[in-house]
Amino acid sequence: MAKKILIPGDLISETPLKMKETIVQDGKTYATVMGVYDDVKKSFLPLESLWFPGRSDIVIGIVESARLNSYGVDLNSLYKGIVISKYEETKFNIGDVIEATVRELDETNTVVLQYPKLLSGGKIIDVRASKIPRLIGKDNTMIKELVEGTHSMVKVGMNGRVWIKGGDINLATEAIIKIQQEAHTSGLTNRVKTMFQQANASKGKGKVEEEVEQ
Amino acid sequence: MQKINMIKSEYLRGLVAKGMREGLRDHFSYRDIKLTNKFIPNAEGSTHVELGNTKIVVGIKMGVDSPMPDRPTEGNLQVSAELLPLASAEYEVGPPSPDAVEFARVVDRGIRAAGVVDLDSLFIEEDKVWTVFVDVYVLNFDGNLFDAATLGAVSALNNTKMPRYEDGKVIRENMTGKLKINNVVTSCTWAKIDNKLLLDPTSSEESIMDSRLTIANDKDNIRAMQKGLHGPFTAKEVEEIIDKTFEKSKNLRQIIEKTKE
Amino acid sequence: MTAPKDKPELMKNGKRHDGRSPEDLRNIKIEAFVLNNADGSAYIEWGNNKILAAIYGPKEALPKHTQDPERAVIKCRYSMAPFSGNEEHGSSRPSRRSIEISKITKEIFEHVILVEEFPGSEIDIFIEVLQSDGGTRAAGITAAAVALATAGIPMIDTPYAVSVGKVGKDLILDMDYIEDKYSDADVPMAICPRTGELSLLQMDGILSPDEFKKAFSMVKKAGDQITKLQRNALQSPYQKTMDKYSKEV
Repeated sequence: MAKKILIPGDLISETPLKMKETIVQDGKTYATVMGVYDDVKKSFLPLESLWFPGRSDIVIGIVESARLNSYGVDLNSLYKGIVISKYEETKFNIGDVIEATVRELDETNTVVLQYPKLLSGGKIIDVRASKIPRLIGKDNTMIKELVEGTHSMVKVGMNGRVWIKGGDINLATEAIIKIQQEAHTSGLTNRVKTMFQQANASKGKGKVEEEVEQ
Repeated sequence: MQKINMIKSEYLRGLVAKGMREGLRDHFSYRDIKLTNKFIPNAEGSTHVELGNTKIVVGIKMGVDSPMPDRPTEGNLQVSAELLPLASAEYEVGPPSPDAVEFARVVDRGIRAAGVVDLDSLFIEEDKVWTVFVDVYVLNFDGNLFDAATLGAVSALNNTKMPRYEDGKVIRENMTGKLKINNVVTSCTWAKIDNKLLLDPTSSEESIMDSRLTIANDKDNIRAMQKGLHGPFTAKEVEEIIDKTFEKSKNLRQIIEKTKE
Repeated sequence: MTAPKDKPELMKNGKRHDGRSPEDLRNIKIEAFVLNNADGSAYIEWGNNKILAAIYGPKEALPKHTQDPERAVIKCRYSMAPFSGNEEHGSSRPSRRSIEISKITKEIFEHVILVEEFPGSEIDIFIEVLQSDGGTRAAGITAAAVALATAGIPMIDTPYAVSVGKVGKDLILDMDYIEDKYSDADVPMAICPRTGELSLLQMDGILSPDEFKKAFSMVKKAGDQITKLQRNALQSPYQKTMDKYSKEV
């Protein structure tokens, strides 16, 4: 079998390899989280892992505090976001949902954010961070499928949060749950496409539910 | 209470205004209910309750104690509730929070007021009576603990075995007797959100509700009520809630009866 | 404790009171991903034990003075429900026993979790014993390891635990409550299966050095079975969908 599901402590290779979520001990490489090891591609895809902020990661946050010169932003993770007001034009209120880019992570687990943009209305869904790459898909294929199939606006945060607005929000939610549950399987993009075709056929072509009014 | 962000609350309020809610339910229906009795064979009685994603275990233990001085011939009933820290990120290790205390007291009140347990049957001898310990353990929190716990407690009491008391010792081997039950009580909890009434609120709905009303009733009468939070109810709303509660509680009583031995 | 005359016959013709051979485990069932509020969770039925394990974190360690700037702080709470035993109603306050078990459990996971990846944070491990029948600490540790893996918390290994007891001259694996109550020794151990290292070792009673060696080898042997059950619990939710769709590509 080319693909194997590993658990923490399982041997990946008798030789030292540099891969995410693995550890090298005595010259051998071991998995540290659950993941799928592909013996042919020599790749390890974590199934359950946590987000570590990387420079220029796009995140979706919720403004949770406002100080004189900064905003505190919840990122659904260990790391707290901060937007420094003097660098930014926009003013925010507590409870606002924003999209922003990671500038840096400091030693107090604070993520300095830049280019914050307000996302008004819609709905947010918290997703396991390890499923986000699959939700975006190779060359954005999955996210394109999601937008075309539901006519929703979708923003994906690497921190494990998705914002959806407009179009068929319920269908988009279901699709995101499906992608999360089946992230480790092949042919998923096609199955999601089929899901949309069936859903849209059953409610009549071109007709999309109106967004919930505020 | 669960933290909720503005966008989520706007979304939920939007649904409520249209007569909808998450999980494809209407405002007057319960989530799926599943009761599993004898979940803890070591306990004298027990029930595992699933109300949607709310999961609770109720365990019953019998012990021998002195009666209350003002009721020397009656057994004791003690209802405790634990909001276990594994049930929600908001629950903390430590002494019971005011929420946990209110929760245990409301469940206790319904069971006591409805005379569910025949306390007279728990008299052993002078200065010795049985105490019924009802422990409500919340394993996963997704709202409406009151109704879930009342269902679990009544169902567990209905399936409780009686130990024997012989020569000053409690004998738990080969229990054949059953705890004597006189009545069945259930409760219906309603949330008021933007002047709409919703039965069986989830944790997200509870976090945006203005007020909450719990009615505990048996077949014919109201047995306990508890209003919670800052918002008021009009008399008309309360009447509507009472009417609907009597209607809805029929099914709840059936669920309990079905699992009874 | 109890007068010797009450002591039941624990070994008869090489079989135990429940029919097991000395080296047999009880039936064990593990289920992963069982609680949806927790970041990780597992449920284990080990004989008549019923135990839930849940993980919250890593999150900011609070109060702040508990933070370690170099690594994650592991907090563990092992507790028993007051209705979990077949005797009288228990106390809901933590006993000295529970506090000790919480501490040794925490120490096992401080070793396997890559704590230095999460400075300033805390990881909470909750172990709730709903029904107990001897060996709850071992079962709780085994479940907590699975729960940590479901939470995506990086670990160098997935540990398991089990205990060996001694009844008269016989060493018996995985004692239930009755055996534990009347045994001459109890040796709970937790093992990191990859390296075979011990991360928990306790003992009380009487045991010769040779008996310890034998007990350790019994624990290692049982580990093959326990590890397999942990692995199945973690893999099967994924394996099912993977198999279902593997042909479609």
